[in-house]
Amino acid sequence: MDERDLALRASTYGLFVELGRAPTTDEVAEAAGSSVAEVQSGWQRLHDQHAIVLDPTTAEIRMANPFSAVPTAYRVHADGRWWYANCAWDAFGICTVLQGDGRIQASCPDCGEALSIVVSDGRPDDESLLFHCLVPAAHWWDDIVFT
Amino acid sequence: MNLFRSEEHIERWLGGRPPGATIGVTTLNELARAWWSDRLAPNWRPHTREQNQAILDRIGLTGPFWRLP
Repeated sequence: MDERDLALRASTYGLFVELGRAPTTDEVAEAAGSSVAEVQSGWQRLHDQHAIVLDPTTAEIRMANPFSAVPTAYRVHADGRWWYANCAWDAFGICTVLQGDGRIQASCPDCGEALSIVVSDGRPDDESLLFHCLVPAAHWWDDIVFT
Repeated sequence: MNLFRSEEHIERWLGGRPPGATIGVTTLNELARAWWSDRLAPNWRPHTREQNQAILDRIGLTGPFWRLP
């Protein structure tokens, strides 16, 4: 990954956190002082290197892990805002990247019961919950949305 | 990659599919902290496969299931 793409990635993530949502190509182009076409081609390179995930139909951001650009079953309240995480792993990741505590709200995929975890001083308050990863690590990126 | 109340809920959700791997939420939290800690750092660089595998190994996530490609 070259310096140009690292800067584009940093600008994209910075805007995501500032706005509380995924930035558009227009917003990143304006912030980075580049063209929309340059952002689009740069995002594609970042997508190809698994640094972000683009929506295949719109070419807009689908994931800037651990953040999700679309609503999911994993909501996180951290740094004064609600965020969507891509999965349970990413939910804890949002607490980590925002360098603070947080509240994770989800539901059991089996029974639908609400699950709420407070991360305080870097530790979850309910240590009885289990995390299940269905896809082996060798295949996580075969279909990252399914994973 | 989901959270469940118990093993019983996981088994019912799987519905006969082969299971993946199950870990406690404390280990998941450790994994997330190690995996994502630098994601917003100004000097972030992509992790190599070896760096990521070392994180998994350090947390005790070893064996074929956790072997990165």
